[in-house]
Amino acid sequence: MNTISSNRAAAAPYVVPAKRRRHLIGVSGILIACAFTALAVLNLLPLIWGILTSLKAPSDMFRFPPVLFDFTPTLDNYRRVIESGFLGNMKMSLFYSATTVAGTLVLALPAAYAFDRFNFPLRGPLFLLVVASIPLSLGAAALLIPNYLYFTRLGLTNAWYTLPLIYTAHQLPMAIWIMKGTIEGIPRELDEAAIADGASHFEVLRYVILPLSRPAFGAAGVLTFVGSWNEFVAGSVMVDSPQLRPIQPAIYNFIGFFGREWGPLTASATLAILPILIVFALLGRLIVSGLTKGSVKG
Amino acid sequence: MHSRHAGLTYIVPAFALLGLVLFSPVFYGFWFSLFRIQYGAPTDFVGLDNFVRLLDDPTLGGTLSRSTVFTVFAVLFTILIALALSVWIHKLGEKRGFIVQMIVIVPWIISTVVATLLFRWVFVNDIGLALSLARMAGFNDIRLLNDPTSAMTLLIAVSVWKRIGYAVIILLAGLKSIPDDYEEAALIDGANSWQIFRRITLPLLKTPLLLVAIVLTLSNLNTVETPLVLTGGGPGNATRILPIEVFDRAFVNYDLGSATALALVMFLGNILLVLAYVRLAKWKT
Repeated sequence: MNTISSNRAAAAPYVVPAKRRRHLIGVSGILIACAFTALAVLNLLPLIWGILTSLKAPSDMFRFPPVLFDFTPTLDNYRRVIESGFLGNMKMSLFYSATTVAGTLVLALPAAYAFDRFNFPLRGPLFLLVVASIPLSLGAAALLIPNYLYFTRLGLTNAWYTLPLIYTAHQLPMAIWIMKGTIEGIPRELDEAAIADGASHFEVLRYVILPLSRPAFGAAGVLTFVGSWNEFVAGSVMVDSPQLRPIQPAIYNFIGFFGREWGPLTASATLAILPILIVFALLGRLIVSGLTKGSVKG
Repeated sequence: MHSRHAGLTYIVPAFALLGLVLFSPVFYGFWFSLFRIQYGAPTDFVGLDNFVRLLDDPTLGGTLSRSTVFTVFAVLFTILIALALSVWIHKLGEKRGFIVQMIVIVPWIISTVVATLLFRWVFVNDIGLALSLARMAGFNDIRLLNDPTSAMTLLIAVSVWKRIGYAVIILLAGLKSIPDDYEEAALIDGANSWQIFRRITLPLLKTPLLLVAIVLTLSNLNTVETPLVLTGGGPGNATRILPIEVFDRAFVNYDLGSATALALVMFLGNILLVLAYVRLAKWKT
């Protein structure tokens, strides 16, 4: 690796003469600027405009031409959304996401450890099943009807634990995969030394593997949080009572309830985005690394 | 050193949960679909009757072809744009590349419901920002959701916009795993940048590209939220795709028999994609 990069550094000046490089930047500079602007507008404008809308009174919202900052901000829309019980939905979603993250990490670490360090019957096929389940939970729409029937039959729907169970199962395969990738990179000599010193397998997991797989924990945790906070289909099908409803179905219900009143709608959207943006700002790098480490959720 | 079954105890909790939520429902669903369903409860055994009824349904062909059109175009455009973006970001260097990467991924980390809602408010709504600006420029009466073709085009556009971030991240990882020496050697041999892309980059990106294609196909084929929030399946049936059909059958018409049968057919399609995925998943970065 080192020799490759130092070779490259030595070779670089001969490959692209500085003059030609400048010329390239000059020609494509405008194009790149355009592409960047288009990208930023498409991806960030809905966010910014949505947040601005949520702070406008109806009289400012329908002004023509539209105004960007020249209005008196009001929290009226937020008040209306909160009066419709949105804080309760947010609390439920926070609870669902937190329990899902905890459950996923607690179940995934030992499984990943076993898949990497132990030899047991059917290890290969079982791991393939885990890998196959990663995209399978993408097909939630197809899987959810059978899931709904089965949970109804067992009486597991419409309870506080219904969604944590489902979300944890959906996120688990990806978390196992991410953690196994990291545990692979921890030298086996470390566990062998610990075992030679009299540690049990569980102690190896707790005192050797766990501290060394923190980044994978973070990546899997962040993706799990985002995944369960954003989930809609199971959340709207598997629980009925308004007290148990998570935020995404609640926002969808607002579309019917508030109709064309975009003030409250964008206010609820803003409240739903906020935790995601905070997580993203703090741990964006972990999201990217988690995704590329093998999580494959679209 | 390790006993033969010691590892099993560590995976049992995880597999118990996966069995409960992911695996058993499939078998139960298949069993359930073999019965006539009345008021949500199975009554008489009818064999494959629920599946045969699907074949007789005259509307299903249209739904299937709309789903195909939607998925094919959404996946195709996502990959093409993501490929261009990731090649560009790769050349930007570490710091600027990371910023662009973060902007690209924004619609992907927001929930589909919220992202679609905000997209609709800014770009589609007739009193929203984009169409207000269009009116100021003299374009009146743009109603994107009233015409079947433009509604479908919009549905595809939103899906592309929503999922590009994911594709870019995976393709970027693929690009980073290609040693720079290859490109430098080709430059010395006098290759131009298109030749380098076509002959070196693209072939080496084959696996991540396929992986992205499979995941995007799966997620587009199964998306409920985007059409639900953007168009509600309309105008008429213009954007009514398979997942909407399944959910309407189950929870609007309460026809659980045919909903389950249709869901299982969809599931079978998903399984084929998943098998392809498993073959490729050995690719790592």
